[in-house]
Amino acid sequence: MTNEREKPASLEQLDAKLRKARAEADETAGRTPRPEGATSGLGFALRIGVELVGALIVGGGLGLLLDRWLGTKPWLMLVFFVLGAAAGFLNVYRVATGLGQGVGYRPSGTKKNGTERPEG
Amino acid sequence: MAAENHSPLEQFQIKTLISLPKIGGVDVSFTNSSLFMVIALTLITVFLVMGTRRRALVPGRWQCMAEMSYEFVANLIRDTVGNEGRKYFPLVFSLFMFILFGNLLGMVPYSFTYTSHIVVTFGMAIAVFLGVTILGFARHGLHFLHFFVPPGVSPVLWPLMIPIEIISYLSRPISLSVRLFANLTAGHTMLKVFAGFVISLGIVGGFLPLAFVVALSGLEFLIAFLQAYVFTILTCFYIKDALHMH
Repeated sequence: MTNEREKPASLEQLDAKLRKARAEADETAGRTPRPEGATSGLGFALRIGVELVGALIVGGGLGLLLDRWLGTKPWLMLVFFVLGAAAGFLNVYRVATGLGQGVGYRPSGTKKNGTERPEG
Repeated sequence: MAAENHSPLEQFQIKTLISLPKIGGVDVSFTNSSLFMVIALTLITVFLVMGTRRRALVPGRWQCMAEMSYEFVANLIRDTVGNEGRKYFPLVFSLFMFILFGNLLGMVPYSFTYTSHIVVTFGMAIAVFLGVTILGFARHGLHFLHFFVPPGVSPVLWPLMIPIEIISYLSRPISLSVRLFANLTAGHTMLKVFAGFVISLGIVGGFLPLAFVVALSGLEFLIAFLQAYVFTILTCFYIKDALHMH
């Protein structure tokens, strides 16, 4: 009974407001990093160990394949093993510092409004 | 004793249930692994179809659970990929449900855990990896290759950094699949080992490993959820990376 007369107007206003708020929420949803809860913290911890080993396997395997292809028996494998180790450390470093959770890529700090993300 | 030759790894053995002729040199027999995949798919379908059948405004228990799983994945995509990620919801949701049900089905005694086989997890991981790479190239063309050049590194170091970045990129499907497979395999093996101790220590000392088995079962349920979550969120991150490169 209080605002029966202005109800359509206020409803429309409400609709416009809602739409605006939703658009803003959508805008920010993709930008804001996910808050690390208790479960995702554990999930995060479970991720780290495998990153190192995975890169080592890929590095060593790639070296072996290239060796077989080019006939340079042990050398490329050794080189790629070291490169794989470096890539593994890079992965772990990126996961641990939260630089772009997508492992293996550059930190997304260049364009994003990320605050504590150093270049690297 | 019949229990003597029970290995803790026996649970991972693939048994052919229905022999089928080879197609193109590939054994396509229906195994216990396939059986449990079919069971998981059936359960997921029943769960979601039954859950959304009533569509009450005030959801019942089943509808609530179906909506929760939907919203969980939808929020995950929204938080990581943003609005553009909506297109990929079906893929991510299917992956999540398939892994989650596989992990949980594995917790049923005498069942088979198909996610404890690297073929299965690697198959899913390589599909995600290839899909995301194709998506990246389709989206950005050759500009996608700029990914492998780390920013802020002097060109002198490029010959060193680019191979490292490429290896790091190629290691994604490995780490994605090994993580799921290793966690499930290790957990289930550990359960069986401790359960074996219960028998061998008998009624005197068997209670300690029994308590361990109970605790480990709880942990395994947590792992089942967490690993499904980790696989899903990494898929989301990879999609995000392919969509907005930086």
